[in-house]
Formats: sequence, structure tokens, C-alpha cells
Amino acid sequence: MRMLRVGRWITAIGLLLLAGVYIRALVFTPVERLQGLAQKIFYVHVPAAIWAESAMIFVGLASVFYLFLKDPRLDRFAEASAEVGSVFAAIVLTTGPIWGKPIWGTWWTWDARLTLTLFLFLLYVGYQLLRGAIAEPGARARFAAVLGICGMVLVPFIHFSVYMFRTLHPMPIVLKPSTPSLPGSMLVTWLLSVGVFTLLYVGFVTQRYALSYLREQVEVIGDVGRGTGDR
Amino acid sequence: MMQATPENGGYMIAAYVIAAVVLVTYAVSLYWRTRKL
Repeated sequence: MRMLRVGRWITAIGLLLLAGVYIRALVFTPVERLQGLAQKIFYVHVPAAIWAESAMIFVGLASVFYLFLKDPRLDRFAEASAEVGSVFAAIVLTTGPIWGKPIWGTWWTWDARLTLTLFLFLLYVGYQLLRGAIAEPGARARFAAVLGICGMVLVPFIHFSVYMFRTLHPMPIVLKPSTPSLPGSMLVTWLLSVGVFTLLYVGFVTQRYALSYLREQVEVIGDVGRGTGDR
Repeated sequence: MMQATPENGGYMIAAYVIAAVVLVTYAVSLYWRTRKL
């Protein structure tokens, strides 16, 4: 299937470029004086967070359109985006505490940004469990769409939680209305990393979408073989 | 007085390794799930 091959190529290129971002971050990007090398976790943590949140927005948007149009491609895309989003959320929830330990002195604190990000991850897990628990495709897509829309509503709260609540989590230094407060070389590394994570999101979602499509085709062939297909 | 830059490179390496392992593992899982069909 062409889509699967394209997805694999994009993913492979993304992983290769990720190695390039690592080299640039480690060798060609200055060390922040107060935080030391731990600050460089930012180049992985924040792009992963951007795509963990964006993936849920795409799940929600696809779900809204699915409920109106009943197009199975939208449901397939939402399913793919949710699985990929959960992978990025897992990276956020592991790299964040690894940064927090040397900088805050603790792995975890129940502050608004961290807790809401954990909710996002749990929503991703719940979304996938829900899909796995419902056999009938129409009901599965409908129920999952409702949960996907709830997940989308959560995302702005995560992003603005640092403004709405007193929180330990740093304020945005790039994604904010004023100009980014990062030196040029750090900003370039960060932007490259965002680009690579974007590529990985596209590659993963393309593959996952193709996987869902192929599974559906295998089920249809199986049903026809058993004589239980629609006549 | 200037504050010394902390020695915490181990945390950075751990984060980078974990992120790479998660991404590569997911890429491999997609490959295997498709092959199993």
C-alpha cells in the first residue's frame, strides 16, 4: 500500500533527523548557565508537548466532523492521531520529571500544568481502551468521537494553565504573544526539533491510518470468506 | 558572585535516550503490526 510506504519513509527520515537534532543540541547549542545541561531537555520535551496537545486537537476536530459526516476516514484519522498523541504524551511525562529533579529538586509536583498533562495522557489511554472495548464499528466511532471532543476541550486549559493558576512550571518562552525569549542559536535548535517532531507525527499517523485501513480490509475479506459479509 | 553551572548532564542523557527509545519502539511496533496482518 502506497500510504504505508510513504509513512515509513517519512518516519525513517524523521528518526534520522532526530539524531541530527540531538547532535546540534549537544554540540552546537550553548549550555544555559543556571540550569546546566539539563536545560537541553527542553529541545525534546517542548516539541513532544506541542504534538501531544496538537494531536488531541486533531482527534477532536476529526471527531466533530465525523459526527456530522459519518465518514470512516475521519474516524480512522482520529484513531491514528490519538495513538500517536499518546506516544508523545508519554515522552512529555517522562522527560518533564527528568528535568524537574535537578531543577526543582523533585520528580513530580501536583501543579496544574503537570496534572492536566497527566489527564491528557489518561484520556488518550481511555480513548484507546474505549475503542478496544466496543466491537460494533459505528457505535465505537460515535462513542470515541465524544471522548475525543472532550479531550480537545482539555488542551487550551493545559496551555493556559500557567497563566490561570499559580504553578511551578515555567511560563512559555517561545509560544507566547511577544517575541521568543531564547537566544538565536537555541531558538534554531528548538525550531529544528519542532520540525522533526512534526515529521514524526505525520509519518506515524500516516502509517497508523494505513494500518487501520488494512485491518478493516482483512476483516471484510474474513467476513466474506466465512459467508457473514453483507450481501 | 557568579553562580556555578550545575553538573547535571546525566539527566539530559537519560531524557534523550528515553525519548529516542520510545520513538524507535513505536516505529518498530507499527512496522510489526502491519507485517502481522
